[in-house]
Amino acid sequence: MDAPSTPGQRDRGSVAAGPTLRWRARLNSLGLSAAAIAAAFLLGGVLLALAGANPIQAYVDMLSGTFGSRFDLSLVLVETAPLLLIGLGLAVAFRARVWNIGAEGQLLMGALGGGAFALYAPISSRAVMIPAACLAGALAGGAWGWVVGFLRARWSVNEVISSLLLNYVALRILEYTIRKPLRDPVGFQPVSETLPDAARLPDIPGLRTHIGLLVGLGLIPVVAYVMRRTPFGFHTRMMGLNRDATEAAGVRTGRLITAVMVVSGALAGMAGILQVMGPESRLTGNISPGFGFTAIIVALVARMRPTGVLLASVLIGALTLGGDVIQRTQQVPRVLTIVIQALFVLLILVADKLARRNR
Amino acid sequence: MNWGAVFGAAAIIPLLNASIRLAVPTGLAAVGESLCQRAGVLNLSLEGMMLSGAYAAFLATHYSGQPWLGVAAGVGGGMFIGVLMALFSVTLKTEQVINGIALVLLASGLTSFLHVRLFGVTAPERFDPMAKLEIPLLGAIPGMGSVVFDQSPLVYLAVVLIVGVWWVLKHTRFGLAVRAAGDRPGAADAAGINVDRVRAAAILASGAMAGLGGAVLVVGQLGLFTQNVTAGRGWVAIALVIFGRWSPLRVAAGAFLFGFTDALQLRIQSASGGIESDVPFEFFQALPYLVTIVVVVVATARARDDAQPEALGVPYIRGARSS
Repeated sequence: MDAPSTPGQRDRGSVAAGPTLRWRARLNSLGLSAAAIAAAFLLGGVLLALAGANPIQAYVDMLSGTFGSRFDLSLVLVETAPLLLIGLGLAVAFRARVWNIGAEGQLLMGALGGGAFALYAPISSRAVMIPAACLAGALAGGAWGWVVGFLRARWSVNEVISSLLLNYVALRILEYTIRKPLRDPVGFQPVSETLPDAARLPDIPGLRTHIGLLVGLGLIPVVAYVMRRTPFGFHTRMMGLNRDATEAAGVRTGRLITAVMVVSGALAGMAGILQVMGPESRLTGNISPGFGFTAIIVALVARMRPTGVLLASVLIGALTLGGDVIQRTQQVPRVLTIVIQALFVLLILVADKLARRNR
Repeated sequence: MNWGAVFGAAAIIPLLNASIRLAVPTGLAAVGESLCQRAGVLNLSLEGMMLSGAYAAFLATHYSGQPWLGVAAGVGGGMFIGVLMALFSVTLKTEQVINGIALVLLASGLTSFLHVRLFGVTAPERFDPMAKLEIPLLGAIPGMGSVVFDQSPLVYLAVVLIVGVWWVLKHTRFGLAVRAAGDRPGAADAAGINVDRVRAAAILASGAMAGLGGAVLVVGQLGLFTQNVTAGRGWVAIALVIFGRWSPLRVAAGAFLFGFTDALQLRIQSASGGIESDVPFEFFQALPYLVTIVVVVVATARARDDAQPEALGVPYIRGARSS
């Protein structure tokens, strides 16, 4: 990963690198990531073999079960949608070296805030309801992220700790809300009522993927532009390289950290409400199978670059769905894919170090 | 709801006894982490170390029927993640935050994978948690005796280890080397201390203690393993290090506070009567985490001295800069 700037190490992708250099460095790091990802799949193959499956057959199943048909591809993209949105926000945060690992909680709060809005707002027009609910979800997720940023800026409370612990608090709040105030009175399970039709996301024409994916796709160039061309983006990248120097240059880093937390929380919150309006159709206690954690991997594998997030979220979305496939065909537990994801990150770290050493 | 069942005179001794019991897994991990951070390594893999230790302990106890073998395996399981953490943070000198988080996910994935693979969807049979060991004479002290001296042998072991870490850090050459490596690695290096080796040793010690913490949870308390059984205790432990201002004994005191909150919320949940109850028991489930956040905020906001090791989280590369 090249965002961390340990003194004494060379920084590729530095703030002022020229365009040619930058592209060469990017190609270089893309190659390293590809090698690391291949190695992770190889190690995953060893685990598959140890688990009594045929690794080659398992990977063939995985590939045909994810990209083999338009229907399977649609399912991959359903997995991709939340990872893309959350991953974009985390890419911004990690670029600034603000280690937000509370995206899971921010997603849940976004789902709750947006979901409550969609259940109660007397809006019958889809064109009004969907953007309004998205906004409500983003506000709720952003507010949850703001808490972390505020604690960091005001009392320098370590954001890793506070953001992670708030995940547990968010889950309990959601569970309480669907057990009591928002509970569907006729349901057996503690879940909310189904959202009104106006708040149900249509599918992308030709696919069985809800239009929430397009929100993420549309935000990629926006985030890329903001990071590269605006003062906010410049200060964010600068703070990631050297926080003290940024402070010395007159940037109010406390405020910037808070802003970064709000942005990444808002994107996670929007991912949450889109899950509720899309695949889930109501508030439940298990809206997220850990999207907020998987998105950490997405942002890191993407090396915190918006376009990289697109590639990484498709890869990891497919891997997640592929886990379901091999659980069916090869009787291998699907959590194997989490091991492979963790290996992605660890092996990219190794590949970068080896490349640096040999230069 | 019957509040007497929570706070009544007859309930208070079992409550305090349970507080100590529940504090031990987190406390062991937290004190190990404080040693590690004093050496300058921000070890975020702690949750993974606990989880790996918990699973190793579960497997060993399940197959051998020997709880003490489980405890030893737990230590080994924690050190397994410790070896990886040291490989990345010390040998490769990568960003400690990133490899720490990745190792937590690795441990979570590996333990869940093995568990599903070995036992499928049917949960394996629960084994009896290690029996309590009442210390003769001391256990007979009214009140205090049944709070402190009527515990699992693992609790006594934990207390000895925690005091041991404090003593090592404060009174031994190794402790001095640890503190030097964490505050002024350059100076430590110049004085002939092998910073890398000291940091690796501290990470391994932290892995051993966190693994033991996981083992205590499984062998000493639950008698079973479920996926991600540690439920964030490793993260709480890292928070307690900040709360305790990097001093092992204060960190241990923080762990007791966490244990007390946990014992309290369990008591309230069982007294409130389950899923249909009007008591928002979810609030009490969230309480240990909320209290942890609050105490960290208070501790950080009120701290006058800057107790944080100066080189915390910064990989030491000889000649990279003077420190």
